[in-house]
Amino acid sequence: MERRGTGAVARTDGDEPQLQQEADRDEPRRQQGPDRPRPGGARGRIAAVVSFIGELLITAGVIMALFVVYSLWWTNVLADREAKRQANHVRHNWAKPAGPGALDTKDGIGFLHVPAMKNGEVLVKPGTGTGVLNEGVAGFYRDPVPAAMPWDKQGNFTLAAHRDGHGAKFHNIDKIETGDPVVFETRDVWYVYKVYGELKETSRFNVDVLDAVPKESGKTVPGRYLTLTTCTPVYTSDYRYIVWAELERTEKVDAKRTPPKELR
Amino acid sequence: MYVWIWRHLPGNAWMKALISLILVLAIVYVLFQYVFPWAEPLLPFNDVTVDNGMPVTGGTAVAS
Repeated sequence: MERRGTGAVARTDGDEPQLQQEADRDEPRRQQGPDRPRPGGARGRIAAVVSFIGELLITAGVIMALFVVYSLWWTNVLADREAKRQANHVRHNWAKPAGPGALDTKDGIGFLHVPAMKNGEVLVKPGTGTGVLNEGVAGFYRDPVPAAMPWDKQGNFTLAAHRDGHGAKFHNIDKIETGDPVVFETRDVWYVYKVYGELKETSRFNVDVLDAVPKESGKTVPGRYLTLTTCTPVYTSDYRYIVWAELERTEKVDAKRTPPKELR
Repeated sequence: MYVWIWRHLPGNAWMKALISLILVLAIVYVLFQYVFPWAEPLLPFNDVTVDNGMPVTGGTAVAS
C-alpha cells in the first residue's frame, strides 16, 4: 500500500511538471491571439504561399533593375573596351608603311569625328549587324542598301550605331545641328562633311533614307553624302533618327596627322 | 523562400552572411555573363536586328 502510494505520488510528481510544461507551451500561443497562425495550420500554409509569391515578385523586380544596369552601364564598359582595342589595332596598322595589298577593311576603314556629339572618335567597320555594333563602333550599311565609300565619286556613306548601351556612340545625335561638321578620317585623307538636314523621327522601315540620293533630305542630284542613323527616342527603338551631311572638302593627312580646323 | 535558405546555410550568423554574399555575387555574375546577353536580343529595347532579322522585302531599315 505504502509503496504503491509512494509510487503513485512519485508518478504524480513526475507527471506534474510535464503537465505544467505543456500548459506553459500552450499559454503564449493563446496570448498571441487569433492573428498569429499556428504553424502547420491552414492559415500558416496560406501565409507561407503569400510570402513565397511576395519574395518571387521582389526577386523579379531586383532582376529587372539589374538588367537596366546591365543594358545602360555594363554593355558600355564592355563595348568601349573592345572599341578601344580595335581602334588601337587600326592605328597601329596605319602607322606601318603602306604595303602593296588592297585596302584592309575588315578591321575598320577609319574614324568618325562628330564634335557636336562630344564623344571623340568612333571606329567605323563594315556591316550593321548586332555583332558589329555591339563592339562599340559605327557600322556602314551593306544591307538593305549598300553604302558608298567616302572616296567614291558619288553616293551615300550610310552609318549606324547604338543610341544607348554597347558604347552608345550616337547617343548625342540630337545635339547635331545644321551646319555642324562631321569628319571622317581614313589612313590618308580627312573627309570633311557639313550637316544639311535631319529627320528627327522616321519609321524603322524607311530604307529610302539610305538611297544614294536621299530625296527626303531635299537632294535631287547625285553627290557625296553621309547619313547617320540611330534609334529614337532614347532607351527605345520605336523610330529612327537620321542626320544627313554633304562632303565639303578633303584634306590630305600630313605626317603629324594634324586634324582639320573643324576638330581643333 | 529566403528564410528557408538562411536556415539551411551552415555556421553562425556571420558565416551565413558571408555565404549569402558569395551566393548573391555568383548569381549576379551568371546574370551579367550569360542570362542578360542571351535575353537582350529577345527584348525590344535596343533593337538592332530589324535590319537583318527580317527578309529584305523593301521593308526593314536602319539599325538602332
